[in-house]
Amino acid sequence: MKKKDIILIVLVLLLAGGLFLWRQMAGAKEGAAVRVTVNGEVYGVYSLLEPQDIVIDTELGHNLLQIRDGKAVMVEADCPDGYCRQQSSIRHNHQTIVCLPHKIVAEVVGSGTSTDEQIPDVVAK
Amino acid sequence: MHPRQTEQHKKGRNTVCHRICLMMSCLMLAGCGTAKDKLDASEDNLSQAEMTNETQAQTDDHTLGAAETEIAPDAAVSQDVFAMDTYMTVTGYGAGADQAVTDAIEEINRLDALLSTGQTHSEVAELNEQGGSKSLSTDTAYLFSRALDLYQDTDGVFDIAIYPIMKAWGFAGDTYQVPSETELQELLQHIDADQISFSEEERQVSFLEEGMAVDFGGIAKGYTSARIMDIFREAGLHSGVVNLGGNVQVYGTKPDGSFWKVGIQDPWDSDGYLGIVSVADQAVITSGGYERFFEQDGVTYHHIIDPDTGYPADSGLVSATVISTDGTLADGLSTTLFIMGEEKAEAYWRKHPEWFDMMLLTEDGTLYVTEGIAEQVTSSYPITIVTK
Repeated sequence: MKKKDIILIVLVLLLAGGLFLWRQMAGAKEGAAVRVTVNGEVYGVYSLLEPQDIVIDTELGHNLLQIRDGKAVMVEADCPDGYCRQQSSIRHNHQTIVCLPHKIVAEVVGSGTSTDEQIPDVVAK
Repeated sequence: MHPRQTEQHKKGRNTVCHRICLMMSCLMLAGCGTAKDKLDASEDNLSQAEMTNETQAQTDDHTLGAAETEIAPDAAVSQDVFAMDTYMTVTGYGAGADQAVTDAIEEINRLDALLSTGQTHSEVAELNEQGGSKSLSTDTAYLFSRALDLYQDTDGVFDIAIYPIMKAWGFAGDTYQVPSETELQELLQHIDADQISFSEEERQVSFLEEGMAVDFGGIAKGYTSARIMDIFREAGLHSGVVNLGGNVQVYGTKPDGSFWKVGIQDPWDSDGYLGIVSVADQAVITSGGYERFFEQDGVTYHHIIDPDTGYPADSGLVSATVISTDGTLADGLSTTLFIMGEEKAEAYWRKHPEWFDMMLLTEDGTLYVTEGIAEQVTSSYPITIVTK
């Protein structure tokens, strides 16, 4: 093995290490969960890191919250206005999807602290 | 090609292949770490029931805080409520926060019962039914006064009398529809807040045209958050924050003395922010066509109707945010500036720079920020500072 090869191995390992750490940090920021409440009661808390379908069937109606690529979005709702299906996907702390007729709130929790410059304390929309 | 050159070429190519393989192996190693993380996350998810219970316990503790007699100065007390056709959260910090937050929720429910057009027996629903009232409540009289002042000051862009047109579009109910041109023109002839006769001293109001109706939806949540600030002030709280369906108002600074960081929804990047503004003692209220809309025959119609045309505003803005110590004003102005568009909004701000600051995002992706707030705004969009 030539000297240049050794230098290349070291460089690539450093790059790989950097990439690993970057993914770790990015994951930690997105390492959040979605807390679903129905009429103020906690229905469940679901990791945003895991693709999953969350069926929320209550006496008020049916909703399906889908988690993909670190984001949650309401894909099904049999409420009259269907407004919750129009709402943005959520991935950052304090972002919410609300289904008013079914009294469902899905809120991102634990995706970092507000001491981070890029994470707001509250979201205006 | 010379045989020696070919050999050197092959050797060189082998070395490049070797190096590429080496690089890919190492990068795959890095990737493996990420896969494991996902596995860990999956395992975490298996204990979801535990997580749920824990969160429930935390929530219970939170609620039970009401029964505690001593509260740390920086302890948060938070309650949420479904009211005014939206979801609201109220958070207070410090001694007295428990009672103040409870009072705030009561105030929300009281104002909802008074002002909601959807509740048959609300004061506003009844005066719409009767074409006026001879004994307005203090709150409704105050809102008429503010709304009509704003109507005059904005040359009719802020108009509470637009309610019949909102109903025609279905934005006041659940069934969206595109009204016919004839229907809109007919309605527009009767929609004008100039046709409201109002006496603040006598707390009387009457509509001078048949079929008129008002809705304080463009101002009521801002008024409610302003009232909650009064409650927090009277209770002597150190800090507080309310989020009334996306309308934000903050009381004081954060418990640690720093400014509140308010993220503004990005209309294009659905899960991102167009910027973050750092504020204390201010309302931050934003409006955009992305909030509520429907599609018919391939055309998207949003809910911010221009009272001049009867159609959704098409002013070149995709988002308008108002920052002001006056929550009622901030609420009324956010939709108004969205309808006005950048140039008129800037001209309006120059008339009243002491009233408010604003952040306007145009269709070409430029963020216009007024100078009073410019240093407190961070954004990944190019910022143009608007000066007096």
